[in-house]
Amino acid sequence: MTTATLEAPQESEIKPDDLRAQIEQLSRSNGEPDWLLAFRLASLEQALGMEWWTGQEESWRRTPRDRLPRRARVGHVSGGSNGTPISVPQHVFAPDAHAGLVHQIDGRVAASDLDDQASAQGVIILPLSEAARSQPSLMQEWLGAVGPPLDRYDAFGRALWTQGVFVYAPRGAVLDESLFYLITQDVQQGDHWHYTLVVAERESQVKLIDGGDANDRRAQLDETPLIHGSVELIAEDGAHLEFASVQRWHRQSAAISTTRGRVGRDASIRVTTAAFGADLDKQRIDMDMSHDGGFAEIRGLFVGDGKQHIEHVTRQHHKGVGASSDLLVRGALTDESQAVQYGLIRIEPEGQKTNAHQTMRNLLLADGAGADPIPMLEIEADDVKCSHAAAVGPVDPDQLFYLQARGISSEDAERMVVRGFLAEIADGVPDAHMRDVIDELVEIQLETKVTAP
Amino acid sequence: MTATPPLFEIDDLRVSVADKQIVNGLTLSLRPGEVHAIMGPNGSGKSTLANSLMGHPRYTVTGGDVRLQGESVAEMAPDERARAGLFLAFQYPTDIPGVSMINFLRRAMSARRGEEIPVREFRQVLNDVLGRLQMDEQFVRRYVNDGFSGGEKKRAEILQLGLLQPLVAVMDETDSGLDIDALRIVSEGINTFHSDDNAILLITHYQRILRYVQPDHVHVLIGGRIVESGDASLAEVLERDGYEPFMERTSEGVLTS
Repeated sequence: MTTATLEAPQESEIKPDDLRAQIEQLSRSNGEPDWLLAFRLASLEQALGMEWWTGQEESWRRTPRDRLPRRARVGHVSGGSNGTPISVPQHVFAPDAHAGLVHQIDGRVAASDLDDQASAQGVIILPLSEAARSQPSLMQEWLGAVGPPLDRYDAFGRALWTQGVFVYAPRGAVLDESLFYLITQDVQQGDHWHYTLVVAERESQVKLIDGGDANDRRAQLDETPLIHGSVELIAEDGAHLEFASVQRWHRQSAAISTTRGRVGRDASIRVTTAAFGADLDKQRIDMDMSHDGGFAEIRGLFVGDGKQHIEHVTRQHHKGVGASSDLLVRGALTDESQAVQYGLIRIEPEGQKTNAHQTMRNLLLADGAGADPIPMLEIEADDVKCSHAAAVGPVDPDQLFYLQARGISSEDAERMVVRGFLAEIADGVPDAHMRDVIDELVEIQLETKVTAP
Repeated sequence: MTATPPLFEIDDLRVSVADKQIVNGLTLSLRPGEVHAIMGPNGSGKSTLANSLMGHPRYTVTGGDVRLQGESVAEMAPDERARAGLFLAFQYPTDIPGVSMINFLRRAMSARRGEEIPVREFRQVLNDVLGRLQMDEQFVRRYVNDGFSGGEKKRAEILQLGLLQPLVAVMDETDSGLDIDALRIVSEGINTFHSDDNAILLITHYQRILRYVQPDHVHVLIGGRIVESGDASLAEVLERDGYEPFMERTSEGVLTS
């Protein structure tokens, strides 16, 4: 299965005045407070002052940049302000049990709820524009608090978002069930900019599962949809935040996400991402370990097919004493799909007693598939424990033989091994139903691709 | 000798690994209900024989044939051989992280039967065999062979033997790495499985498992071929005198041939 390459231009001229006007209109129609419009416009100015890339940056040089739309425009919002009813499609990630949920379809809110236990503790999960109206001071305090945008897409994302979610767990709040943020890419034409902000106050515990799905993801489009997600995760001292993101966007999409975590003292952030759809999926994950005793975990899994390009650019940035971080990326690649992992562990001189590790493993299931894992260490402290491991190779023939020796066909054996290999990553997703969904998506993605050796 | 047709025949089998001939014309015939032991020193071709019987792609059959119930399996893929009723208990079972034993066992049983085994029946058979092997039910929640001790791995092989009910079981050094208690339990597992309808080929370096699993025939494997066959007493001769006398005989044989 190959994806059609688009002939349409991937670049459109950026007209600052038009963009400013569009943003003002969007902000007004959302009923946003003035500070938020100011935030959007300031982000726009930052974006306008940046290049898309020079191509020399470590974070961009391995990306097939000709497949990325260089575009900035306010995305399509279905239904619009006149409230035209739209159908609510079944979402592939719809949860069994959950503490709260926001579901948006092309920017329009399709569902939003929160259970009694969560609301009694003061937990908030709201569409971002609604939170800006009902929780202005909280949102103003935290939006963009992780630091300035990392690149031009990230900056445009802060300016142009038409959908997003705000999750807030007050001090000491503890949720057993996960919160869900679901996005449906319904009308395929047009770009999507979404923004996720999660704040876990001191000693709180919160889990958010972010699921992106597309209707009719194989419809032939004449333009590459750009899907950008800005994700900001803040765990204050002693808080534990878990975030899982699973996407199955339209096959022709270019999906770029920037996920940034700020880990407080003795706090933890665990991020698990699973990439299935999109022609190009580029995830940038950046963990700020400035505080002592923090812990961060980044787990990534993917199954590539066709000509998909799947890229992880990660940074574990240590400044605190005695903090730990762990990166685990695992993927399986069929057909002519390609993967890149560029993982940097950076330890500043003050980051003594750091424990930081990286493991990248790529299974190649076809001759045309390829992977390029690049672990990097920049260590300026002298008392640290760091390790990295990177592997690219086929499925272990001894594992296949063992399963075959028990009567299991070579195709089934390969699928079992790959599913098992990825299940170890999916184990990091804090919801049993979601783990099953991921396993199913792995199975679907592998179904027609695995060929007998 | 009875008139019963052989269940499993190895006929002048020749196997090479990376262009090196390891099995050099081995012939052996197992009838239903029989236990055969092949004993040989290190490097005599024991593991090559075991793996090639199951069709491991690393081993190339350069001559001869292997027949199960009169039908050649030499051209079959490993999974076809297994479904036809051949079983290999691995000397070094492979760990497969992320794949649970219970899922694996159910898939394997369904494959052997040619149809999906109902959950309830599977649970029943599984618990039955687990109990016989004195294995905890939690065991099957673990990933296949992942983090298993040597003894647990061997027990897991016998568990599969009991569940899959093959016609012919090739046991590759199943006794190695087992303490005396584990050896007894594993041997009991083999004996419970054994019936008049199946046959067992024990491949071993040492004689000690043969105290628990009584062989009808013992063969000495040197240099990739059988140099001597006898009854159970041959194993005692080997235990007493070692392989040395047989090795000398082979080198003479090679020189004169």
